[in-house]
Amino acid sequence: MAEINTGKKGAPRVDMTPMVDLGFLLITFFILATTLSKPKAMQIIKPAKAENEKDQPPLKKSKSLSLLLGEQDKIYWYVGSDESGAGLTVDSTDFSKTGIRKVILQRQQEVAQQWGDKDQLVVLIKSMPTAKYKDMVDILDEMNITHTKQYALVDLDKNDTTIMEQVHTLGK
Amino acid sequence: MPKVKVHRANPTTDMTAMCDVAFLLLTFFILTAKFRPQEPLPVSIPSSTSQILVPEKDIMLISVGPDGRVFYGIDDHNTRIRLLDELAKRNNFTVDGAMQKNFSNMDQFGVPINQLPALLRLSSDELNKFKQPGIQIGKDSPKDSTKNELADLVRFGRFLNPQIRIAVKGDKDSQYKSIDKVVETLRETNTNVFNLITAGKSGPE
Repeated sequence: MAEINTGKKGAPRVDMTPMVDLGFLLITFFILATTLSKPKAMQIIKPAKAENEKDQPPLKKSKSLSLLLGEQDKIYWYVGSDESGAGLTVDSTDFSKTGIRKVILQRQQEVAQQWGDKDQLVVLIKSMPTAKYKDMVDILDEMNITHTKQYALVDLDKNDTTIMEQVHTLGK
Repeated sequence: MPKVKVHRANPTTDMTAMCDVAFLLLTFFILTAKFRPQEPLPVSIPSSTSQILVPEKDIMLISVGPDGRVFYGIDDHNTRIRLLDELAKRNNFTVDGAMQKNFSNMDQFGVPINQLPALLRLSSDELNKFKQPGIQIGKDSPKDSTKNELADLVRFGRFLNPQIRIAVKGDKDSQYKSIDKVVETLRETNTNVFNLITAGKSGPE
């Protein structure tokens, strides 16, 4: 027999648990999304303008590494910075872990062998005017990663311009 | 025969209150979050492994867009108003209250200074549509100090707030030469320490 329940009924219960879960999930998401996207700064200290740069002692070839940032995320590197530019061997590499980082670490070891201290290495970073800003940041970052203590952003000299011209003609 | 009623304790707790709290908090966070104002110069920053946080205040921000346009901004509203007064005095234009208000609400601007009064008279809709040409940095080189308005702005900013820190925010795809112009300008003004703004990256990949 069908029962008709006429007794007092409470309000129907709804299980709120999933809704609570959802609420807290959203809160967590918003909190994390706002704090994690804080930009980071990279501090750059440029040397003060020198009165006459000729007075500075020249950089020893055996302590140096020149990196030329070119177009299409390419790096051209060579050791030494002779005025004549004769006998330079220029190599090209990229921004991958096995690319430029290997070159820098290898050069650090060479300098450590010759001078007894890997921090004697001076990396000269030169950029083509058309190189991307991203590459400049990447290479500065690479200096941090490889713990290179001495590096400088410098202008292209005559040598570098000829190198880049040669690269251009050879590359095409 | 009457049935014996077994009274069992209900193991479910009422979640309504907790739900209320969760959504109240959610609403609070959403409402207090500030909308990012529409940027006149969209810049997508490169990433680095640097862990230094960008300081919260006393910032002078120089942005460089992918097309090489340079924008300038100061974070503090009072400093902005003082900067505008200074610019008006030096360049012989007059400033009214509305212009002052517009300027203090403008995070960044990128027009030659002689076009600034016209820019400040635009309504916000017009401003969003207007493509600002960028600040002039010398005619040919940053060393040409008579035409380098960015150098002037940097000097004013540092004069108005000696504690100010300088941040350069460049787009991933901007060319090195446009960044170099800004850096050279900073060196011209004897600003040798500055920050490059980058997005964080967890570590060397």
